[in-house]
Amino acid sequence: MNEASARGIACPFCGLACDDLLVGPIGVETRGCAKAAAGFAAQILSREHRVGGERATLDQAIEVAAGILRGARLPLISGLSVDLAGAQALVALADRCGAVIDRWQSVPQVDTQGVVQRAGALTATFGEIANRADVVLIVGSDPARDYPRLCERLVANKTPLYRKEPPSIVHIGPPGAAPSGVPLVAQVPVETPRLLDALRALSALLDGRRAAGGTAPDLPLAPIGDLAGRLHDARYGAIIWDAANFPAGEGGLCTAILLHVLRSLNRKTRCVGLPLGGTGNSQGVAQVMLWQAGWPSRLCFAGGAPEHDPWRFHAERLLTSGEVDALLWVSTFAAAPPPVATMPTIAVVAPNAVLRAAPAVEIRVGIPGLDHGGTILRADTVIAVPLSAARASDLPSVASVASALLPRLGAAA
Amino acid sequence: MITRLTGGRLFDPANGVNGEIRDLCIDGGRIVADPGRGKADQTVDMRGRVVMAGGIDIHSHVAGGKVNLARLLMTEDHRDVLAPHAALTRAGSGTATPSSFVTGYRYAGMGYTAAFEPAMVPSNARSTHLEMADLPIIDKGTYVMLGNDEFLLDLLARGAEQERINDYVAWMMRATAALGVKTVNPGGISAFKFNERGLEIDGSVPHHRVAPRRVIQALTRALSELGVPHPLHVHCNNLGVPGNIDTTLATIAAAEGFPIHLTHVQFHSYGTEGDRHFSSAAARLAEAVNSNPNVTIDVGQIMFGQTVTASGDTMAQYRNRAFASPDKWIVMDIECDGGCGLVPFRYRDTNFVNALQWTIGLELFLLINDPWRVFLTTDHPNGAPFTAYPTLIRLLMDRDFRNASLGEIHPAAQQVTTLGSIAREYTLHEIAIMTRAAPARILGLADRGHLGAGAAADITVYKDDADRARMFTAPDHLFKDGAEVARNGAVVATPNGRTHVVRPDYDRGIERPLKKFFDDHMTLRFEHFALSESELADAGIDLSVHPCRPRGGA
Repeated sequence: MNEASARGIACPFCGLACDDLLVGPIGVETRGCAKAAAGFAAQILSREHRVGGERATLDQAIEVAAGILRGARLPLISGLSVDLAGAQALVALADRCGAVIDRWQSVPQVDTQGVVQRAGALTATFGEIANRADVVLIVGSDPARDYPRLCERLVANKTPLYRKEPPSIVHIGPPGAAPSGVPLVAQVPVETPRLLDALRALSALLDGRRAAGGTAPDLPLAPIGDLAGRLHDARYGAIIWDAANFPAGEGGLCTAILLHVLRSLNRKTRCVGLPLGGTGNSQGVAQVMLWQAGWPSRLCFAGGAPEHDPWRFHAERLLTSGEVDALLWVSTFAAAPPPVATMPTIAVVAPNAVLRAAPAVEIRVGIPGLDHGGTILRADTVIAVPLSAARASDLPSVASVASALLPRLGAAA
Repeated sequence: MITRLTGGRLFDPANGVNGEIRDLCIDGGRIVADPGRGKADQTVDMRGRVVMAGGIDIHSHVAGGKVNLARLLMTEDHRDVLAPHAALTRAGSGTATPSSFVTGYRYAGMGYTAAFEPAMVPSNARSTHLEMADLPIIDKGTYVMLGNDEFLLDLLARGAEQERINDYVAWMMRATAALGVKTVNPGGISAFKFNERGLEIDGSVPHHRVAPRRVIQALTRALSELGVPHPLHVHCNNLGVPGNIDTTLATIAAAEGFPIHLTHVQFHSYGTEGDRHFSSAAARLAEAVNSNPNVTIDVGQIMFGQTVTASGDTMAQYRNRAFASPDKWIVMDIECDGGCGLVPFRYRDTNFVNALQWTIGLELFLLINDPWRVFLTTDHPNGAPFTAYPTLIRLLMDRDFRNASLGEIHPAAQQVTTLGSIAREYTLHEIAIMTRAAPARILGLADRGHLGAGAAADITVYKDDADRARMFTAPDHLFKDGAEVARNGAVVATPNGRTHVVRPDYDRGIERPLKKFFDDHMTLRFEHFALSESELADAGIDLSVHPCRPRGGA
C-alpha cells in the first residue's frame, strides 16, 4: 500500500474508536484488530428498500413507515446502534410521536448509569490512563473480547508522558478469562458468580475492616489483600471493567462497590475508574438523550414530556409485554435484525443485516464510518471521534431517513 | 420589509441613549437608520415599553460533557420539572440543568439572545458544539479551557518563547471553534492528577515545576498579542477557600496590566475574620477592580435553593464533595487537558456560610463602580440557575426589597455584612450596560448588545413594571435577528442561533510539535482533533467569525 496516499480513519465498531487505521487502495488496514476487520468487510447484501416484502423507493418506504408511527398508540424506537446525528434525529422522532426510546441490550449501561444517578462516579478518559496509570486493575472477564486493542492502547502504549515503566497489571476475575497478551503481575482467581463477594472483600480491606472470610471461605483473601495493597501504594491507579462481564443481576452492585473502592483510595492517593460503557456509540446515544431530554436511557414521551423509568421503558420488556404496538428498529454498526415481533415493524438497518422475516417496512441505510461520515463518542464519553466514508456508497444515513420521517408525522400531540 | 417599533423608551448605553423615547426600525434582521417619518411596512406600538438589546450572558454552563454529567446526577430535578412539547417546541426537563432545547426557550422567554459556555475542555470540543447545535434560538459560543493542558505546561516548563505560546493558543482556539480562552484553577487540575490537594498561585505544578502565576502571565499576554477581543477568563486558584482573597488579588497582579476577566468572583472574595473564620472580602476586591481598569469581573451570585455545581476544577470539587446535597458527586480526569467535577448544592439562607456568600455577591455588584466592568451572572448553575436573574436584578434595583430579603437570612450573617448600609440602586441604564452593552463589547461582538444602525435586530421589549423581577421575567416581545421569537415569555418561533468564534492567526510551525505530541501520547490523533469547517456545517452550525486585532506582538 502506498503510505503517502493513505489517510487515517477511525473505526466505529467498538467503544475504543481507534483512529489510527489507514485506508488505501486495497481497503482498510485494521492493525491486527479482527473486530475492525470484520466491521470494515461488511458486505452490501441489500441496498433495496421494501414495503411488505416488495421493493419500494425510499420515499414510498418512508411514507408507509410514517403511517405506521402515526397510527400507533405507543411506538417503540430501539436498536439504536447509530451515530450521533442518527441519535439526535431519532430522539426528535420519539418526542414528536410520543414514543418510548431505549437502546437494545442496554442492561449493563443502565446499571452503570443507575449508580451514577444514585451515588456519582470517579473516572478518567483513555488518555489519562495511558499516560499516568502505574497500577491497572482489570475486573472480570478479559474486556479484550469486546475491546480488542484495549491493552495495546491504554496499558502497553510505548510513549507515556508520566510513567517511566509499564504499569503493573492485576486481574481479578475468572482465571480462564484473564487478559491475554499483557504480562500480569498478579491474578486473583475469582469465578464470575463470586465477583460481587470478592469486590466486597476488597472494599472492606481498603476501608481497614476485616473481610468477611468466615462466611466466604472460598474467597482468596490473601491475594485480594495483596491487590488492596497495590492499589493503595499506586500513585495513579486505574480500575477497568465492563459491567457486561459482571454476574447477571449484580452489575449495579458491583459497580457501586467499585465506586466505593475508588472513593476510599482517593482519600490518600489517586485512582480512577474506567467503566467500558458499551460499544457501537452507546455512550453517544446516552449523551444525546441527556442533552435533548435530561435522561440517559429508557425514555418515554407519551405524556408529552420525557419520563425515565429503567423498568417501565425497558425495550426488551415492552416488546414481550404487549404495551407497545409498533417498532422502529435502527441498527447500523451492529447490523442486527429486529427481534421478530407481532407488531408492525420498521427496520432501518445496515446493508449487511440479515433479516429473519420481512418487516412491514425495510429501509437500508449506510454504516457511519464505512458508507458515510459521522461522529461517535468513545466508551470514555468525553471524546467525539469523526468518522469518514471508507468506501463509495450512496446508502442514506439514519439521520436523513429520520429527518424525512419527522414532518410526515404531523404536529406534536 | 421595514418594521417600525414606535414610542418605546430606549436604553442603549453603547450609543449613549438613556431612556429616550425613539422609534426603532428593523429591516432584514438588522436595525436600520430611520427611513423617515411614517415609512414602514409594519408598525408595532411600543408606548409605555422599555426597549433594550437582547440580553447576553457571558458565563453560563449550558453545554458539554460536564453539563450532561450534571443532568445525569440531578435526577430529582429532571423528574420534578417537566417541560412538555408543544406545536413549536421540543420536550425537555430540569431547572438547574435544563435539557438543551429548554435552555434556549427559557433564555429567549427571559429576553436573552446569547449565552456563552465558559468551560469547554479542548478534547470535549466536538461533542460540545454538536450539543449546542440543539440549543435553539439564542446565539452561543465557548471559551476553551487552557492552563491545565499538558502541552502548554510543557511549553512553559521548557521556557518556550511567548510567540510559540501565542501560536499554540491560536491553533487551539481555531481547532476547537472557540470565542475565548478560560483558565480554571491554573495548574491545579493537572496538579490534582499528581495527587496535590491544593495549589497556591506561586506554588509549583508537579513534574512541570510551573507556577500558576506563570500560566496567567503567558495566557493574558497571548490573548492580548493575538488580538483576541475577550481577555483571559480566569477562575482563580483556591475557589471557595476562606482567605482566598489574597489569591484573587495576586491573580490581578499576575496579569501585569494586560486585560484579564475574573469570573464568579463571589467564590473568590473570602476572608478569614470572625468567630467562624469566614468573612466577606468584597470590599477589598471591589477596591482592586475599581483601581485596575484592565480588570473585568462577573459575580457568580448565589441564590438560595437547590442547584448543582459543575466545574472544570476537579481539585476544588473533590474538596467540596463534603458539602454535596444530595450526597452524590462526580470527579473526572480528562485526557491530559482538563477535568470536571459535579457536586449538587442546596444553598440555605439559614446556613451562615451560604447566607454570607449571598451578601458577598451583592456587595460586589454594589461596590464596584463601573457597570461596564461587572457582569450579571450566577455562574449558572453553580450559584443558581439562570432563571434566577429577574430576582437578582430586583435585588440590585430595589433597596427595600434587598433589605427585606437581608432580614430573612442567618442572623450572624446579617450582623457582619455591610450590605444593609449600601444605598446604591442600579438603574435601567446600568442594567442595560451590565447585561447587554458591556458583554458584547468584552466579547468583541460588534453588532450585538446595542440598538444602533447596522446592529443585529436582537431586541427585548419589557413592560415597565415597578416590580423589576416581574418585569424581567417575561418580556412582552423578543426579536432575534429581526424575527419575533418570544412573546410574554412564551416561544413563538425557534430559529437556530449563531455560534460566535474568533480565528487568530498563527505560525503553522507549531503544528509539528503538536502532531508529535498527539500522535505519540494522546488517544486521538492530531488529524482528528481539530473540528473541520464541513463537520460544523453538516451539524447545522452557523458560524459568526469575529476579527482579531493583534496588539503589539513581540
